[in-house]
Amino acid sequence: MTEAKLQLSRSAGLRLGLPCDLAQVRGAAVKVSRFLKDQGVGAAAVQACELALVEACNNAVQYASFEGRENPIAVEVTCDASSIQLQIHDHTRGFEWPRSFELPDPAQERGRGLFLIQALMDQARYLRGGGSNCLYLEKQRPPASAVEAKTDPSLQQAMHQLAESEQVIGDMAEELSFCYESLSAIFRCSAELGRSHDLKEFSMRLLTDLAQITSADWFVLRVVARDGSKLTVFAASDGALRLEPLSLSGSSSTSLEVRAVLSRQDVWFGEEAAEANDPLQAFCSASTGLIHPFFLGEQLIGTIAVGKSVGQPHFTAVHANVIHTFADFVGIQIANARFQEDQVHARLVSRELEIAKTIQRSLLPKSLPAVPGYGLAGFCESAEQVGGDFYDVLRVDDSSLLLIVADVMGKGLPAAMFAAILRTLLRAVPEWTNQPGQLLSRVNRLLFRELSAVDMFITAQLVFVDTAERRLLAASAGHCPMLLATESDPNVLTLSPEGVPLGILPEASFGVQEMTLPCNSRLLLYTDGLTEARSPEGEFFGHDRLVDWFRRRAPDSRSAERLKSDLAIELNGFQGAAAIHDDQTFLIMA
Amino acid sequence: MKVQTRGETLAITGLKELAAGNSQFFRDQVRSSLTEAQKNVEIDLTETMFVDSCGLGALISLHKAVCPRGGLVRLLNPTPPVRQILELTRMHRIFEIVSPA
Repeated sequence: MTEAKLQLSRSAGLRLGLPCDLAQVRGAAVKVSRFLKDQGVGAAAVQACELALVEACNNAVQYASFEGRENPIAVEVTCDASSIQLQIHDHTRGFEWPRSFELPDPAQERGRGLFLIQALMDQARYLRGGGSNCLYLEKQRPPASAVEAKTDPSLQQAMHQLAESEQVIGDMAEELSFCYESLSAIFRCSAELGRSHDLKEFSMRLLTDLAQITSADWFVLRVVARDGSKLTVFAASDGALRLEPLSLSGSSSTSLEVRAVLSRQDVWFGEEAAEANDPLQAFCSASTGLIHPFFLGEQLIGTIAVGKSVGQPHFTAVHANVIHTFADFVGIQIANARFQEDQVHARLVSRELEIAKTIQRSLLPKSLPAVPGYGLAGFCESAEQVGGDFYDVLRVDDSSLLLIVADVMGKGLPAAMFAAILRTLLRAVPEWTNQPGQLLSRVNRLLFRELSAVDMFITAQLVFVDTAERRLLAASAGHCPMLLATESDPNVLTLSPEGVPLGILPEASFGVQEMTLPCNSRLLLYTDGLTEARSPEGEFFGHDRLVDWFRRRAPDSRSAERLKSDLAIELNGFQGAAAIHDDQTFLIMA
Repeated sequence: MKVQTRGETLAITGLKELAAGNSQFFRDQVRSSLTEAQKNVEIDLTETMFVDSCGLGALISLHKAVCPRGGLVRLLNPTPPVRQILELTRMHRIFEIVSPA
């Protein structure tokens, strides 16, 4: 019989008496560890025994009965070639050894001791007795190899250390390989994103790779809507997982994904049954996994749920890290894509405004007709957002004209389009140009459906002027008044015929105000952008200021062009550097 | 054990073990250093050779302290035995575990 065999068949023991004090537990455990190492027990088994012993002794101290505290806790360790046996004799009231072991809720601070003991040991039995109970634990030793049996203890120790190092290196290699696989998946998918710009397909590929790396069976990526109201499925491994959007507004949601978003924490599922109303339940109940909410800074981007079938090993910390990395990466791509979309949208809007401005400019007459004794001048200044203002003058015959000023309520391209249509319609029936009221009725009938369909309306003012007959006919569709200054009257006359804006009523009639046109009359038609012009202090230009200006300036200036530049200067001086909020348009006959 | 403040983070280093004997001390020490300004707690476990269920309890109580303010507990570089107990009790699901790059 060889010495090695003798050594292997030998059984060694250690007995300790531990005072009933938590602070002494670790010291005893270290002694036991040292003893086990001396017996050539591998590091993993030593660690397991040490932790199980600590948990058992902690319990023995914490639950010791009042009188039991006087007695030391007896710890016995025996070690032979095939197993390690630990016995812990406590002086507690004892307890019923559970039939099964479950982890408590993650938020519970206590209650993991027994779970750890049974997870670490191959056998655990609890024997209750009067005044003293015994916890018997057993851990199998891996069979010693033939080489190990014949070698001396120092070599054995070196081999154990080697095995330990191999374990550590193995763990590190596993983690490194995860990192490598994650990185290469990210690079591969990014290269494809550069080619296709299809974010959904990109996410699908990336998450398929993620599932492969983490051995997951399914995934669902949800992305938050721009207004933050709901989570919509963006990519899923299975058609059945393309579930309805989840509302984020109601806090009473039972969805695990919503819970993850609201708590900003990962939600793991699998152990406890999913909520009855959880949309993922069909998959969750047969799976284990986690839901990770991901953010860019403070802003929620989405959630990623990854699961695998029950029975497969659970996701580890390394898996969770890989899932987090992928989610962060997808999050950045989504945020980038949204930013680019916004940029494109802004470019489209500015292009649209450019077109609207061009249309508006093209609506204004290049030159204005003249009639004996009168000249005409028009002014139209667009606001940044471009409204639908325009003016026009139609020549009826040698001595008469139709003056038009209109304001389409709205901005941008739609307003400019309606302005163009209105101008065309007004020009289309030359025989009605001397009947401004009827012309407005007709135009209203033609435009009503289109205008009301988009909730827009137009105000307009039409003035038929006959210089030979010395009369004028004015009609208004809800437009601001026009001003008339004459030589005989020092006051400025305000004309505001009855009428609703175009597009409000399907059948509307427009009152016509008729007047004789005294010698040297001056007529001013304008849009409310003029009276609503603001000074840098926020004050309105206003009707009174306009009337006052017209009363002072009309008698001196004989030419329309001169009055126009005067009013433009007055307006400029008033507004200073303030931004123009609405188009400003006026038409002067003098 | 050393407790330092780094901006929004409370950093704990030099922890040799976290077990029944010192978990209450650890808990008190960290909770008293944790002001409203710190969201996160970062615990360097490089030198920590032993953690038991009482130690886990202390970590969980920290997690519960920072969670309502949107913070987290980050465990840096756990040694193999500590990593084993964290994974065995599925604590990696509530803590962020960071291994050296």
